[in-house]
Amino acid sequence: MTLRLLAIALRNLFRARRRNALAGGSMAIGTAALVVASGLSDGITHQLSDNLIAVQTGHLQVVVRPDDFQSQNNPFDAYGQDQLPEADALARRIESDGRAAGVVRAVPYLFVRGSAVAGSRSSVAWIVGIAPSREPELRRMQRETSGRFLPETDATAVYVSEVAARKLRLGVGDAVSFVVQTPQGSVNSLDATVCGTFRKGAPWFDNAFYITLAAAQALVDWPGGATNVKVLLSDGSAAALAQARRCVERSVAAAAPRPLAKNTALKVESYTEAGRFSYAIIQANEAALVMLSGFLFAAAGVGVVNAMLMSVRERTREIGTMRALGMRRSSIVRLFVLEGLALGIASALAGAAAGAAVVLYWAAAGIPMHAAALSWMAGGDVLYPALRGWSVLRASASIAGLSTLAALYPAFTASRLEPREALHHA
Amino acid sequence: MPRAASRLRRSALVAFALVAPASGRAAEPDAATILRRADRAVLGESAAYTLRMTVLRPNKPERIVEMKGWKKGEDQGLVRYTAPAKERGTAYLRSGENTWLFLPSAEKVVRVGAKQNFGGGDFSNADIFRLSLIKDYDPTLAGQETVEGQDCYRLELKARDRQVAYDRVVYWVRRDGTFYPVRADYYTLSGKNLKSLLVSQPKPLGGRTRPTLMTMESRVDEGAHTRLEFLTIQDDPRLDERLFSPGALERGE
Repeated sequence: MTLRLLAIALRNLFRARRRNALAGGSMAIGTAALVVASGLSDGITHQLSDNLIAVQTGHLQVVVRPDDFQSQNNPFDAYGQDQLPEADALARRIESDGRAAGVVRAVPYLFVRGSAVAGSRSSVAWIVGIAPSREPELRRMQRETSGRFLPETDATAVYVSEVAARKLRLGVGDAVSFVVQTPQGSVNSLDATVCGTFRKGAPWFDNAFYITLAAAQALVDWPGGATNVKVLLSDGSAAALAQARRCVERSVAAAAPRPLAKNTALKVESYTEAGRFSYAIIQANEAALVMLSGFLFAAAGVGVVNAMLMSVRERTREIGTMRALGMRRSSIVRLFVLEGLALGIASALAGAAAGAAVVLYWAAAGIPMHAAALSWMAGGDVLYPALRGWSVLRASASIAGLSTLAALYPAFTASRLEPREALHHA
Repeated sequence: MPRAASRLRRSALVAFALVAPASGRAAEPDAATILRRADRAVLGESAAYTLRMTVLRPNKPERIVEMKGWKKGEDQGLVRYTAPAKERGTAYLRSGENTWLFLPSAEKVVRVGAKQNFGGGDFSNADIFRLSLIKDYDPTLAGQETVEGQDCYRLELKARDRQVAYDRVVYWVRRDGTFYPVRADYYTLSGKNLKSLLVSQPKPLGGRTRPTLMTMESRVDEGAHTRLEFLTIQDDPRLDERLFSPGALERGE
C-alpha cells in the first residue's frame, strides 16, 4: 500500500510543476546554503585546529602556569610565560613513556616578547625558539616563501613572517637585531640574519620570528629551559587524547622538573583548553551556522506548508473522490506526507550537489580573506572550505525532514475533509 | 757632639719621610670614589630642576617635551610634563623599587617597569631617575683614555646581579678633578653595545658649574637619539616626603 501511495505521490509532484518547482527550489537553495556554510565552518575549524596543533600547542602541551592564571581569550594564552626547566629531558621522557598511548613526538620551544630592529626600523617581535628538525608540522604550516627554513645548528639565523619582513624591509640575508628583557630583568640582544620568510596570514603569526631553541635560551639566559613542550599524537580523537593525557600527566609527575617559579605549577593542557581563543572563534562560527540553519528552515518550511496547503485546496474534489472510494484518512495523511518527503529528498539531493560543487571549487581555489577581521576569523589570509560527508548528509536529511514535517499540517487538513463536502467543492 | 749631630740627622730624616709624600703627586682615587663623585656631578643628593627632552628619530619630526623634576636621595624622584599642552600633566614617579606613570587623559596611575623607555625616548625610566650606578655596579678602574677631547678615567662597571638592566657599562669620567661623566656605553648580556650616553656642555647652573646636556644614542636603532637639557637646577631644596607617593601623583602635587 505504501509503495502505491509513493507512486501516486511522485506522480502528483509533477502535476503542479511550477508550484512544486518553486517550493522545491527554495529547499534546494536552502540545502546548498547549508552545505556551503558547513563547508566554510568546517574549513575554519580545520584551519584553526591545524594551526593551533602544528604551531602552538600540539594535541597536548605541558606549560608552567601561575596558580591564579586566567585565560585572556587571546591567541597568546597558549604560550607559557615562566621557565619550564629541563624541558628537553621532559620531552624525551614523554615521548618514550607515551609511545603506546599514541605519542608521536614531544617538542620543547621557548616564546619571548621583544623588539626587532633593522636599520632605522623597529617592531614588536614574538620570538619563538624551536628545534627545527623536530617541527615538520610547523614547517608545513608556515611554508617558506623565500629562502629556506631555519637551519638546525645556526644560532644566528632567523625565519621571519612576510608581514614582519615587509615592515622592517628585510629580505633573505639581511641583518636584524632582537632586544629582550630577560625574566630576571637584564637586557639582552641577539644579532641575526634572515634565512627565509613564510606567509601564514593569521595575524597572531605575523610578528613571529623563529630562531633556534639554543639561541633563544641564550637570549633569555635560560640554559636548558623552554616555555612549552608540545605533544603530538597519532590520533587526535577525544578518546585517544584522554588516554594520552593521562600518560603525559604521569610522565610529568615522575619527571617533576625543578626549580619552578614561586606560585606556579606544571600543567598538561589539551589544545582546546590551551587554544580557547581559536575555540571561541570555532564556537562563534558554529553558533552562526545554527542560526543560519534556523532561518533557512523557517523560510523553507513556510514555503512547503504554503505549497502543500495550496495543493490540498486545489485537490479537494480529488480527495473527496478518494475518500468516497474508501481511502482511509490515514492513507490520505500518508499520501501527502510522502509527497512532502519526495519533494524534500529531490530538493535536498539537488541542493547538496550544487552546494558540494561550490565547496569543492573553493576548497581547491581558496577564498581570499584579506580584511583583518576575516583573517582573524579564518586563521589565515586564505580560507579553504572543507567538504565533509557528515555535513552534507546532515544538511540534506534536515531539509528532507523539514519538508516531511511541513507536509503534516496540510496532510491532516486534507484528511479531515468530509467526502460529501469535498465532492461538492467548486 | 757627634751624638747631637746623629740625633739631628735622624730628626731630619724623619721630617723628610713625613713631608716627602706630600711633595710628590697625589694618589689617584679608586674606582668607587670616582663613580660616587660622577654620580653627583649633575644632580646632588636632592634637587629640583627643569629640563627639555628632545626625541629624534629618522624620517620623523622631532618631539620636544619640557618637564619639571624633583629628586630626593637615591630612590625617590618625580617628573611632571609641563609642555606641550597635550602632554601637560603626564607624570612619572619613582619610589623605592617601583615606578608609576600618571596619564591625565585617562586619570589613571599605572605601574611601569624601571627598564621601560621614558617618554618614548632612548632613556629608560631608571636612567631618568638617575639611580646610583654604584648601587647596581661593581666598578673597576681600567686605565685612562682621551674621550671627546677630555682626559678621562675609564671605568668598567659590572652588574652586581642579573636583575640590573645592563650587564656591563664602560664609563669615562674626567680626570681634571671635576669628575664630570663624559660618556657611558651600555652593554647587554651578549656583549652588544646597546646605547651610549654623552654628557657635555658644562656651564653655571644653580650656583655651580656642571654638565647640562645628556645625549643618549641608540646603537641598534640607526639615527635614533634623545637629548636631555637641564634648564634650571636647585640643589638641596626642602622636599616633602608626600610628594613621592602615587596619591600625590594623581592629585597633581
